Amino acid sequence: MIQDIWAALIEPLASIHFQKALIGANLSAIGCGVIGCFIVLRRMAFLGDALSHAMLAGVTAGYLFMQIVFGVEAHALAMIIGALLAALVTVGAISFVSQASRIKEDTAIGIMYTGIFALGGILASVFSHRIHIHLYDFIVGMVMAVEDGQLWMMAIVCALVLSIVILWFRQFQITSFDPIMAASIGIPVMAIHYLLTACTSLVVVSAVPVVGVILVVGLLITPAASAYLVTNRLRTMVLVAPAFGMASVMVGLYLSFWIGIVSPGPMIVLVGTLQFLIVLCVAPRHGLVANWWRRWQLVPQQLVEDVLGFMRHDGRNIVPMREVAVQVTGPPQNVRRAIRALKRREYLEEIDEGLMLTEAGQLEARRLLRAHRLWETYLQHVGTPAEQLHVQAHQLEHLHDEETVDYLDDKLGHPLQDPHGSDIPEDFVDLVPGVEIKASLLREGHRATIVAVDKAASGTPLRKNMSVTAGPRDRNGTRWTFITPDGQQIALDHDATDAVTVRLEDQH
Amino acid sequence: MIDQASTATATMTPAIAVNNLTVSYGPVPALLDVTFEIPAGQLIGVIGPNGSGKSTLIKAILGFVKPDFGTVRLFGDVAENAKGRVAYVPQRGSVDWDFPISVQEVVLMGRYGHVPWWRNIGLKDHRIAAEALEMVRMSEYRRRQIGQLSGGQQQRVFMARAMAQGADILLLDEPFAGVDAATERAILDVLERTKKAGRTLMVVHHDLATAAEYFDALILLKQKMYAFGSPDAVLHRQLLSEVYEGNLRMFADLDHVGVSP
Repeated sequence: MIQDIWAALIEPLASIHFQKALIGANLSAIGCGVIGCFIVLRRMAFLGDALSHAMLAGVTAGYLFMQIVFGVEAHALAMIIGALLAALVTVGAISFVSQASRIKEDTAIGIMYTGIFALGGILASVFSHRIHIHLYDFIVGMVMAVEDGQLWMMAIVCALVLSIVILWFRQFQITSFDPIMAASIGIPVMAIHYLLTACTSLVVVSAVPVVGVILVVGLLITPAASAYLVTNRLRTMVLVAPAFGMASVMVGLYLSFWIGIVSPGPMIVLVGTLQFLIVLCVAPRHGLVANWWRRWQLVPQQLVEDVLGFMRHDGRNIVPMREVAVQVTGPPQNVRRAIRALKRREYLEEIDEGLMLTEAGQLEARRLLRAHRLWETYLQHVGTPAEQLHVQAHQLEHLHDEETVDYLDDKLGHPLQDPHGSDIPEDFVDLVPGVEIKASLLREGHRATIVAVDKAASGTPLRKNMSVTAGPRDRNGTRWTFITPDGQQIALDHDATDAVTVRLEDQH
Repeated sequence: MIDQASTATATMTPAIAVNNLTVSYGPVPALLDVTFEIPAGQLIGVIGPNGSGKSTLIKAILGFVKPDFGTVRLFGDVAENAKGRVAYVPQRGSVDWDFPISVQEVVLMGRYGHVPWWRNIGLKDHRIAAEALEMVRMSEYRRRQIGQLSGGQQQRVFMARAMAQGADILLLDEPFAGVDAATERAILDVLERTKKAGRTLMVVHHDLATAAEYFDALILLKQKMYAFGSPDAVLHRQLLSEVYEGNLRMFADLDHVGVSP
């Protein structure tokens, strides 16, 4: 079995044509992949397509020139130069039309490349008696018949393009990302643009023998697009894109050989497209499967908080995992996932006998408890029937961002107990030594330094820089008391207390 | 390193001195006879209706357009010679947030102008970029791809890039466009901190209601410069109705921000 596969892989290599095809296709796939990255990022795909078509006119013109003037058949260099000239003329014409008129660039590209492509077609028909190569080869590629001269050309193009990209990588990067900023620090944005266009023409010239004029844009942008989906770094992208390109040309060549297709160009591009579709599905971050997975993995926050609440309520240090799963309502696999999520956040720790809240977990649970009890107090305050208090507060406690909770706390006059008579935890998130807070947040026993006294409290003996201790609040919690250093006890209402800004002192 | 650039020359010469500036693209000038001087270390807002020449003014200060007449001097130097002393912070809408680039790499771009093309980005440049990131408190996000940040964080990254550039003058194009109130606060905080670090900031702004609150001084522009000075003086009802051509409805609610009647 393995030997069969091995034989199938080795067999085509016996053919010199296949060897050359493999070398040539890989060389052009490397150049195309690297340049393709910038084409994709700058949204120049259409220009790449246009250049490849316009080249046909240049190739025909180069061929005819050498044939008519010097009587040389199929002069490779002349055809390449012709192709590059045609690309240059096309780019020039496009920028002229889009700058000199209200015509937008994509329309200008469409006009100019079809015109030049058509010119090539007419040249080829008029001089058809003089042209002794199959132009069809240029259209679908002829990689199985690639010649040594073309291989050299591909090698030189590949080396040249790689050198240019390595040398001016930063410039290519910054002009693709932010051309205005690039210009403002003195980078020649237009020169870099033309350099990139020249590189595009070069890799297109080198890829036409492999996949043909029509399909060359596939080899240029498809591997780059696949690479774009798997990475968030340009450096990685320009390494991965040629690898994708090489993979698709090699698979394409082998498949064509096994099936017995004479021109492998379409097969190569088809493989590239399938490769893209597979990447689109399975790419680690931007792929479809990854997106579904992420959505599926999303643990409902409510469940996470229910687990925390249960752990805190239970009071035991260690709770067996099974009990948690039974007691917390929700689909069992979701509860298990919630527990895993809590372990990842280091709120829960698993030891032999079961689960334990960590210090951070206890704090988080306390924060939720505060939210729950404040919501209950609020619900009672707005007249919710007593039997609904707990259920509604249980839903509302998931709105527990600091700002919301602090708002409730302030609106309710910083209550000390909820409607069931349970203590509401103090605002321990803000009650941190050194942080400036309103005096109303202080609880009995807190010592603090006064930072500012606003108008509403200016009639009191409280002064800036005075160190005070918070005394008990009266029975219904509406009056605060503070004890000054000389033992005086001062009572303030909510508004006056809010007018005093203090800095909590270290309690030890 | 980041801070040294600003203090040395800041005191005497104005950061931006625009003198009789006239710029045109056709027979009608985009800017006509604009003159103002901005001292270093100020946060200046540029306001005016659409097509009033705000972006042309920015371009002229960046040295992108050649004035028909007049001069732009940055710390006494003509704009073309001051490339690198002035940094441009693009509009958020004009950035490709899917670009495969990390926060750190964006900030490093600020150093590109200081490194010749044949040299690699050096340790010193990495250090400066790291300091700039630290200053806008984005260090912990340095490996994130820029699309995975909130609006305020994205703005901070570009501010850090401008700092890493070592620029004394920052030109910001509508930094508050299309952000929510909380993000607006966060961005303003970055602007204030940058100002405190001695930079001069010039901000294209469209919201008259917040202009008074945000800026030390305002430039009211519509082809000509209608006013330049403290927000109280510039946000003058009569002046605004002249510039916005009587379309007073749009700032009917300006009274509460203290527009003089």
